[in-house]
Amino acid sequence: MSAQTFSMPLGPVHVALEEPVYFHLDVDGETIRHVSLTSGHVHRGMEAMATQRNLIQNTTLTERVCSLCSNSHSFTYSMAVENVLGIEIPVRARYLRVLAEEIKRVASHLFNTAIQAHVIGFKSLFMHVMEVREMMQDVKETVYGNRMNLASNCIGGVKCDVSPELLTYIRQQVEKMRPAVAEIRDIYATNSMVLGRTKGIGLLPHDDAVRLGVVGPVARGSGIAHDVRKDSPYAAYMDMDFNVPVYDGCCIHSRTMVRLDEVMESFGIIEQCCTRMPDGPVTAPMRQIHVAEACARSEAPRGEVFYYIRTNGTDMPERLKWRVPSYMNWEALSVMMRDCAVADVALITNSIDPCVSCTER
Amino acid sequence: MEEQHILHGDAELMNGLSALCAAPGVKLGDASKPEPAQVAAEHHSVDAFGNAYHWYRLVEPGALVPAAHLLKDKGARLCMISPYNVRHMGEMQPEVCYHFELGGVVYNLTAVLDPKRPAVPSITPVFDNADWHEREMMELFKISVEQHPNPRRLFLDEKLDAGILNQAVPLSVMMNGACTTDLWERILAGKGDKA
Repeated sequence: MSAQTFSMPLGPVHVALEEPVYFHLDVDGETIRHVSLTSGHVHRGMEAMATQRNLIQNTTLTERVCSLCSNSHSFTYSMAVENVLGIEIPVRARYLRVLAEEIKRVASHLFNTAIQAHVIGFKSLFMHVMEVREMMQDVKETVYGNRMNLASNCIGGVKCDVSPELLTYIRQQVEKMRPAVAEIRDIYATNSMVLGRTKGIGLLPHDDAVRLGVVGPVARGSGIAHDVRKDSPYAAYMDMDFNVPVYDGCCIHSRTMVRLDEVMESFGIIEQCCTRMPDGPVTAPMRQIHVAEACARSEAPRGEVFYYIRTNGTDMPERLKWRVPSYMNWEALSVMMRDCAVADVALITNSIDPCVSCTER
Repeated sequence: MEEQHILHGDAELMNGLSALCAAPGVKLGDASKPEPAQVAAEHHSVDAFGNAYHWYRLVEPGALVPAAHLLKDKGARLCMISPYNVRHMGEMQPEVCYHFELGGVVYNLTAVLDPKRPAVPSITPVFDNADWHEREMMELFKISVEQHPNPRRLFLDEKLDAGILNQAVPLSVMMNGACTTDLWERILAGKGDKA
């Protein structure tokens, strides 16, 4: 280390979001030369807890791995259990699962986008995005009775049906949100203050993205067209018409545009679910538990979620292991932050939409 | 009549991985220990939506490196590594399942480890994103990862002993002491120690 370079600790609290992670930055003046990180502050031992609970109780446990993508965890966990037991869920349940997942995706992406405006210091934009997001929070509260954990999924289907009146209400809310999000997208795409802080900053070149195996909007912002909903369709995604937005700018701006475009695609999926959903049962019966193993994956707002389960003939899993999207994306920060200014660390961190409690479990 | 399934996946890759598996009938791991169930060296499954999963049990942990190179050459992506114990009481039987994805198809490779000295070769030199998974398996299961380029702790403090999850016994195993062999194995192992 030369006389001009020094090591700078950053964190562990409030680097971008209110979750702890500790960065060790080697800086040269104000320019970052090397990054390493220490985590583990919120390790909860959830994988050990999962082996002390039965398969049904674990639906509740896995929904608490993460807040913003809570639904994706109970969804993917339920699919893993259904795969290991050989359960085929009813068609209406497939649509209801997709409906809840896309409602959560809209709220999650808008939250991340709002935080970006907050970090930039564009307070009015932050307030506006959060206000628009509030309409989706109202949908969650009205339809599922909760603003965060929907408790919609269960093994074999979904817990509660959604009435035709509520489906009409969801469509009305989407109709209200669509022009508001289009306007927000336009601001993020053209506002000079936003572009000045996001375009060409926090670069993750395509080759590095492939090498590090990043997932979700981080991958799609670096030109990788991976989306589990398209690559291996599950639930009712094979019946949905939607596009996978991919940008090749490899910067913070590209990731933001992927998220905002995905919100518009999610609106389309929600509307298709509301109009095309067939009548019928919403759960399939439980089946006998054998000694077996299975895995399942889905596309959460932050990217691919992967679950692996081993059963031993009892109602409690012998092993339950899962990998969240943030787990794959953290290491990309060392590439994104290299040669960036210290002042951009919070923005770059926010651009991977990190979830620390998810990562550490 | 047995139902015929079309296997989705890369045929060349599947043949290459099959060649690294144990021959049918060969028992993996410690041959002196009874296996709870005979496990096929290779099997293929499809979920309710038609997505394919291929499962391979490697002939020995050393086969991981050529398998990783095969997958890397084909452009596969490492999704996750799942370490676990097949036996939780008495002597452990550690195994590690590596999950890869290529073209929407999931390839799972299982390595059966030596219970006395559980070790696997590192695949981080082949797949950069194996780094965190391997460090996590070192700290939670005390599995030695040979040639790992950065073998420091991931989440847990250095003061904590490695292998904390080896101490976690699933409640189902504890509660089924009367009807499985696990509990008796542990008692017999304890008697052996005294002798």
